[in-house]
Amino acid sequence: MKTMLALGVAFALIFTAGLPAADAATLAGKVAFEGTAPVAEKMAMDADPTCQMLHPDGAVADDVIVNSNGTLKNVFVYVKEGVTGTFPAPTDAVQFDQHGCQYTPKVFGIQVNQPLEIINSDNTLHNVHALPQNSKEFNLGMPIQGMKLKKTFTSPEVMVKIKCEVHPWMSAYAGVLEHPFYGVTNEEGAFEIKNLPPGNYVVETWHEKYGAQTQNVTIAGADEAKELAFSYKG
Amino acid sequence: MHRYCQAVAAATFLLIIAGGLVTSTGSGLAVPDWPLSYGQFFPPMIGGIRFEHTHRVIAGTVGILTLILSIWLFRREQRGWVKRLGLAALAAVVVQAVLGGITVLYFLPDIVSVTHACLAQTFFGLTVAIALVTSKGWREDLPYEFDRDPSSLRQILIATDVFLYLQLILGAVVRHTEGLGIAFHIVVALLVLLHVLITLQTASRITGEKKILRPALSLGLLVTIQFFLGLGAFIVKIVLKNTGAVPYPATVFFATAHQATGALVLATALLLTMRVFRRLASRNCGAPVAVPSES
Repeated sequence: MKTMLALGVAFALIFTAGLPAADAATLAGKVAFEGTAPVAEKMAMDADPTCQMLHPDGAVADDVIVNSNGTLKNVFVYVKEGVTGTFPAPTDAVQFDQHGCQYTPKVFGIQVNQPLEIINSDNTLHNVHALPQNSKEFNLGMPIQGMKLKKTFTSPEVMVKIKCEVHPWMSAYAGVLEHPFYGVTNEEGAFEIKNLPPGNYVVETWHEKYGAQTQNVTIAGADEAKELAFSYKG
Repeated sequence: MHRYCQAVAAATFLLIIAGGLVTSTGSGLAVPDWPLSYGQFFPPMIGGIRFEHTHRVIAGTVGILTLILSIWLFRREQRGWVKRLGLAALAAVVVQAVLGGITVLYFLPDIVSVTHACLAQTFFGLTVAIALVTSKGWREDLPYEFDRDPSSLRQILIATDVFLYLQLILGAVVRHTEGLGIAFHIVVALLVLLHVLITLQTASRITGEKKILRPALSLGLLVTIQFFLGLGAFIVKIVLKNTGAVPYPATVFFATAHQATGALVLATALLLTMRVFRRLASRNCGAPVAVPSES
């Protein structure tokens, strides 16, 4: 009985989320980096002694991170065109932390109206200034360690810049979408987009420094696993 | 009172430099709330907060100094128009504070930021004017002989003030909109430089009076310095932008010095104009004007 109930709930959740689980495919791939990785610029953190103490050996800029396997980290990958249906915003919040005087994650995806939980894990004062063009701009002071705030973006936008006005080296980017078909490349340069229904799509990658690239993708059938490869030149 | 007025003008000039540093360092939103800073009177002075909060502290001090000044003038000054200048300064500083709050709470809207910048220099001009008219020299109003008819100098000075104020607005637009209208600002700068040199030549032709020639020479010198500071700011902030060739302090220096020198130029032009008009009025009257003595 419990199993039946669980299945029923799961079915209902998938149905209401507009995800045709039976016909869902997975898009996966890597974003390669060609050329010589740029030398990361040193970040002067002397404006805040707490930040300086957190990085006794110094910190470097995180706008371009080339992985050891020759791939690029922090590339936002998302389905730009071709998605139909509505996808209610998850109630689970995306966590966005200020830790070590840096934003974690640096690049992330979030659905329209999905809660964004902003945390200050540092023992220093931060502020979070989001600069969306399509949603309401906010600039929030977070002076206390452990402080949490929740915000949402009300309209889709790729990408929304977030920066700290106190520590100019801190910046992050949020991809705000009406659907859940997005991912961000990791330390292996890999991404994965799950539960994509059959159809013709345009997939776009976005990088803070190297810009956007697109590819057309066709998902023909159920449970298809599609591999994509992107490449940026340095 | 004159010394107090001078102190208010000096504090206002310091405030203009502090405000310039806020813009030059991009610290305008380092404190997201207003009038308190992170809900406190004194937040931790880190990062951009150092510039923004220092600006607020100096602004608060100037606000209090201006309030005292206006009360002082209202109670002790007998010239009605000088009392009104004091009230105008008080009104300006209040409006300026509100504009400062709006610009923070609404994320630096261009029109508010530009107005805030222009009103800052207007207020500085007001404090300099009050300091001038409360001075002993102004009240004694010694008449002197012009070598030639000074009406042309009077006309050219009005034009100088108008040009300088327009150039101030253009500069504020350039500064707060990431370079909008920069070409026009440069062309006007050349014209202003030329015009001020003509003003200087006209003044020296008409009179040998030191109280006229000194500010005229100062104006010429300041406008020349201002021109080259503007050129420097243009090179480091626009031509060499994103090249990494310019050290950050140099960028901050040129932008802030250009703004602060602009305030000095405007104030000097205003002072020169007021002196010329005062002397001209005395000459027309043929005798010193009786001015109530200051307590």
